[in-house]
This record gives sequence, C-alpha cells and structure tokens, in this order.
Amino acid sequence: MGKLTSFKRSLWVFHASGGSCNACDIEIIAALTPRYDAERFGIKLVGSPRHADVLLVTGAIPKDFADKLRRIYEQMPDPKAVIVIGNCGTSGGVFYDSYNIAGPIDEIIPVDVYVPGCPPRPEAIVDAVVKAWLKLEKLEKQLEGKEE
Amino acid sequence: MSFTLTTPSGFWNPLFWVIFLALFGLISYLIYLRGNPSYKKESDQVKPYLSGNIEPTKEKVQVKAGDIYWGFIEALKGYYKVLEAIHTGDIRDYILWYLGVGAIITFILIGGV
Ligand code: SF4
Repeated sequence: MGKLTSFKRSLWVFHASGGSCNACDIEIIAALTPRYDAERFGIKLVGSPRHADVLLVTGAIPKDFADKLRRIYEQMPDPKAVIVIGNCGTSGGVFYDSYNIAGPIDEIIPVDVYVPGCPPRPEAIVDAVVKAWLKLEKLEKQLEGKEE
Repeated sequence: MSFTLTTPSGFWNPLFWVIFLALFGLISYLIYLRGNPSYKKESDQVKPYLSGNIEPTKEKVQVKAGDIYWGFIEALKGYYKVLEAIHTGDIRDYILWYLGVGAIITFILIGGV
C-alpha cells in the first residue's frame, strides 16, 4: 500500500471556530498572510476536514456545537493532530463554568497542542503547528510500521 | 478478418478500445494505491463535510421537479389555489365541467340570438 509521504511536502490545516470572539481567528489568518507567511512552508488552510492533517479549534465550544466538532474530528483522515488556539478552548477562558459551554475542548475531542493567550500571537500559532507536525511524523511512522 | 471500421473522420477498433480501457484501469489502480491506507470506510471519513451537521437523506437534498416551478407557483398562488381545489382527479367531475362550459359557450354563441 502507498506510503504516507504528504507531511514531507505540506501540512494542511482545517479551522473550526466554536463560538470564539474572532480575535483568535484573525490571528490564525495573520499567521498565514504575508508578514508571517506560513504558506511558504506548505501550511495552508483547507475548506474540508477530509483534506486536513491538523485541526485548529478556537472558542469555548457551546453545547450545540460539541457534536458537530466531534463529527468534524471524525471526518479527518489519520494520522491527525488537534491544536487548541486561545484561552477559551484551553480552559474556558472568560466563559469558564458558563451554563451553555460544553468545553474545554479536551473534554470533547483529544487535543495535542495548546496555545494559550487571549488571543495568542501568530508566532505562537506557527510554533504550535510545527509541534503538531513533529507529532504527526511520529504517528505516520507508527502507521507505516503497522502496515509492514 | 479485420475489426477496424474506417470512416471519413477516423477509425474505430474494438481491440484498441479494450487495450485503452485496461491501461486506464491500471493507471487508476496505481493512483488508488498511492492513497492514504489508513482511510476508514465504515466511519464519518467517507461522508461529505456539511459544517459538522449530519448528512440529510438523499430525498431531502434532491431538487424535485416541483422545486423548479416554485417561484411561478408562488407568484400565482391565488389562481392555483382555486384550480387545485377543482382539480379532483375524478373524470366525472371533468365531464360535468366540460358539459357546463360547453353549454355556456353554446348559449352565448347561439342561445342569445
Ligand atoms: S481566547 Fe480570547 S481572543 Fe480567543 S476567542 Fe477567546 S476571548 Fe477571543
């Protein structure tokens, strides 16, 4: 069967926003636009989780969105990594203990990298993606090992 | 016996066609082999992405013939309401309408003279 060689070329990222205030989201965009330009490393946002290697999640995740986030995670092909951007998703942030919040995100789906901050700077987001990349390479080796 | 059919615009040979299909199948298989082997067929990974929502049944997402006329029917709702009420599907009703309207036309054309 074919080898998973895609990480050697590029890393595709899907962004799911669950009730964030939009500040984390624009920092993600800032990481991709010319000043930081993560796309020069092949890191790019894609429109469907079915094409993605990494899931970026922002926001405190309201109860209505929890099952949708689970489904989005399920739709990603293996190996996959999840990065939580911002305090909201990491701990609940300003929405901590709110009656309509299903998060923090690691209570809904498994999380690999946390990026605290309200909002975090684009450098931190790029750093998190690099950390996720390392993790994915490890998972990729495990998957390849299983095949042989 | 020759299998080749020659026409002014080209030729057709079933053997060539079979060879082409076999080659096409082989190339498709090679592309398939390069795919992600950890892909799970029985999971959500095969379903279309609809912002995390459950995929509705095919009947619900289909564009029905009635949908094409929606704007037209909506604009002439008053007219269609009356017509639908008298459109019973019973042939005896239609014959009564036919005779009734026929009688009125006949009366207008010759009855009033
Ligand atoms: S962590 Fe702060 S900046 Fe990010 S979505 Fe929450 S409130 Fe907004």
